[in-house]
Amino acid sequence: MDSITKLVKNPWFLGCLVIIFMAVVMWNIPIEKRKYGLSQGSLVTDYTGLLPEHIERVVTAENRNDLQRIVKQANENGQKISIAGLQHSQGGHTYYKNGVVLDMRTFNRILDIDEQEKTIRVEAGATWEDVQEAIQPHGLALKVTQSQSIFTIGGSLSVNAHGRDIRFGSMAETVKEITLLTPEGEIKKVNRDDSDEWMKYVFGGYGLFGVILDVRLELTDNDLYTIHTEKLKTNEYASYFNRVLKQPDTAMHYARVSVAPSSFLDEMVVINYDHTENTDHKSVLKKEEGVRISKMALDAGRKGGTLENLFWAAQKRYIASLNRKEITRNNAMRSESTFMEYTKPGRVEVLQEFFVPVDSYDEYLTDLKDIIPANDKRHDFKVHNITVRYAAKDNFTTLNYAKEDMLGLVVLIQHGLKEEDITNAESLIQSWTNLTLEHGGTYYLPYYRYQTKEQFKSSYPNWQDFQEEKLRKDPNHVFQNMFYEYYVK
Amino acid sequence: MKFNSTRYLPLVVTVGQVVIFPYYIIWLKQVSLTFTLFAWFFAAFSFAAAWGYRIYQTKKNKERSLLFMIFVGMGVVYIVIGFIKNSYEYLPYVVLPLQVILGVLQGYFRAWHSEQDTYHLHAVHHYMIVGFMMIGFSFVKIISPVVFITIFGALLCICGVWEFFRIGKLSVPKKV
Ligand SMILES: Cc1cc2nc3c(=O)[nH]c(=O)nc-3n(C[C@H](O)[C@H](O)[C@H](O)COP(=O)(O)OP(=O)(O)OC[C@H]3O[C@@H](n4cnc5c(N)ncnc54)[C@H](O)[C@@H]3O)c2cc1C
Repeated sequence: MDSITKLVKNPWFLGCLVIIFMAVVMWNIPIEKRKYGLSQGSLVTDYTGLLPEHIERVVTAENRNDLQRIVKQANENGQKISIAGLQHSQGGHTYYKNGVVLDMRTFNRILDIDEQEKTIRVEAGATWEDVQEAIQPHGLALKVTQSQSIFTIGGSLSVNAHGRDIRFGSMAETVKEITLLTPEGEIKKVNRDDSDEWMKYVFGGYGLFGVILDVRLELTDNDLYTIHTEKLKTNEYASYFNRVLKQPDTAMHYARVSVAPSSFLDEMVVINYDHTENTDHKSVLKKEEGVRISKMALDAGRKGGTLENLFWAAQKRYIASLNRKEITRNNAMRSESTFMEYTKPGRVEVLQEFFVPVDSYDEYLTDLKDIIPANDKRHDFKVHNITVRYAAKDNFTTLNYAKEDMLGLVVLIQHGLKEEDITNAESLIQSWTNLTLEHGGTYYLPYYRYQTKEQFKSSYPNWQDFQEEKLRKDPNHVFQNMFYEYYVK
Repeated sequence: MKFNSTRYLPLVVTVGQVVIFPYYIIWLKQVSLTFTLFAWFFAAFSFAAAWGYRIYQTKKNKERSLLFMIFVGMGVVYIVIGFIKNSYEYLPYVVLPLQVILGVLQGYFRAWHSEQDTYHLHAVHHYMIVGFMMIGFSFVKIISPVVFITIFGALLCICGVWEFFRIGKLSVPKKV
């Protein structure tokens, strides 16, 4: 007892407590999240904050009859409506000047799960996370999602998103039926056999063909996979990937390309998710892990130069450490995202994605070296990461980015917000887009529109069909957004 | 009346600390991402102050209280705060150790002060002075709290230097 009293009286006892407390606080300092969205004062923005705009009002979607009334009124009084999910799109796709924004996030109920049929019916404002939580106990998983589960279903279908799955085709193909609130205010069930071909325009339709109210999605088993990782040279990748596609063992796949100066666009790491014979009914959905460490590593990489070399070395080591580990399909579809937060005033971090036919990949990357500097330490325009994924040929949607089997290069870019920095970023991205077009490729539309209208038209030759159908299906131009205004209108 | 550190410097420091407090709080709130973090920063300060207090209490050679270092230390922390860029992403990781250093120094100073004869007199005076000063400050438009924080930091450094040169010349009257 005496020794305890003595210990407590020692000033170092308090000192140790302070140090422990400090360590706990340090570990729990939250990562600053970017501020964007519908509630940022008088101007709304989306994920990058690059296009602030004044809107008339936000309507929180609660029931379909209210939404229907709003759309019918808009047809009469000329109001413009935009639709917002979680606003991860980056080019004003979710709002329009002086328009009404339907905030779909509250429209997120799970309506029905059919274990036999392996389908789920869910309201379109639900996130993939909501869906995963609902289907996990049934041993079921999604067929196609993005790499993360932070998006709404309506938002994802409206860009026809893609992810790590390489077997189930495009996201649009995994939808059995939707309930749609059409631009003229009619609520109708739509499936793939529908003679009006609504799905062809609604999926990848950027909210311009009405509101997706709910969706019936096809599911698959929550299989257990073994992770297989490998290091490759960039020029070995296309043939490697063609082999992967041919062997049915691999269910999911993605790769990273080095943007570090010492191995710029020369080295790659690939990650495959290979079937085991097992399905998982028990393991829980993983939460975000190692966010702080990942953020610190990414922040170091963001500095460029030697630190970027170190970051690439750390990534390779981390990815190698995953080799032979097991993971469920659901967990492979919910990567961490918080570590990507970037809040430095005066700068912005954006995404771009370029698609090239699988067989053009090697040559494309070689040519890319002439456009993007290997060491961007002293440049304003910095490339931090390139992830490669497969986008299967899509014959279904109108604005389809995968006219044949494509490899998509998702690029994380940072640049300044001064006028000359934005102009420089625009010019580099336009050159990059031209190169992509020269190789028979396209670029992804949910991101900020650095590209010109001509580049859009070359990438999406069906744009006129899209425009004509828009006029037919939405004669009063009720559904509008800044994306449409810039590219199509 | 002789100017000695026991008479006036502690009063200047105590009054200064209370007067700067609202500005400091505004700054701390600005750099804390959430209220939780703000509260944790405060908790860290408070625990550290208890530690600092205890360090002085258990100190053997109280005549060598190294007060000048305490003043300069606090001054430097406030000046550093004045120069940190608010937009720095890793700011919370810097603010936390600063809170702890400030806490230890303030706790130590308080323990020293409470053992001086003038402590109780200073308590009354400092409440009065702070009251009048805050009325005065209410007419000053805050441009940025860090301006005041930096000025106070510089003042503390001057107190420290003053104390350094005074050491050895005057003896500190102790409570009996
Ligand atoms: C960090 C990050 C990672 C990403 N990763 C991937 C990826 O791996 N793969 C990929 O393909 N994409 C990816 N994206 C892009 C992302 O898939 C799209 O931006 C997607 O639209 C985001 O969904 P959301 O809920 O935020 O949609 P929002 O941005 O809110 O909306 C997107 C579009 O959908 C429309 N819309 C929303 N809800 C509805 C509805 N109910 N009915 C009709 N239209 C609607 C909107 O009007 C808008 O035009 C990523 C984006 C970010 C920021």
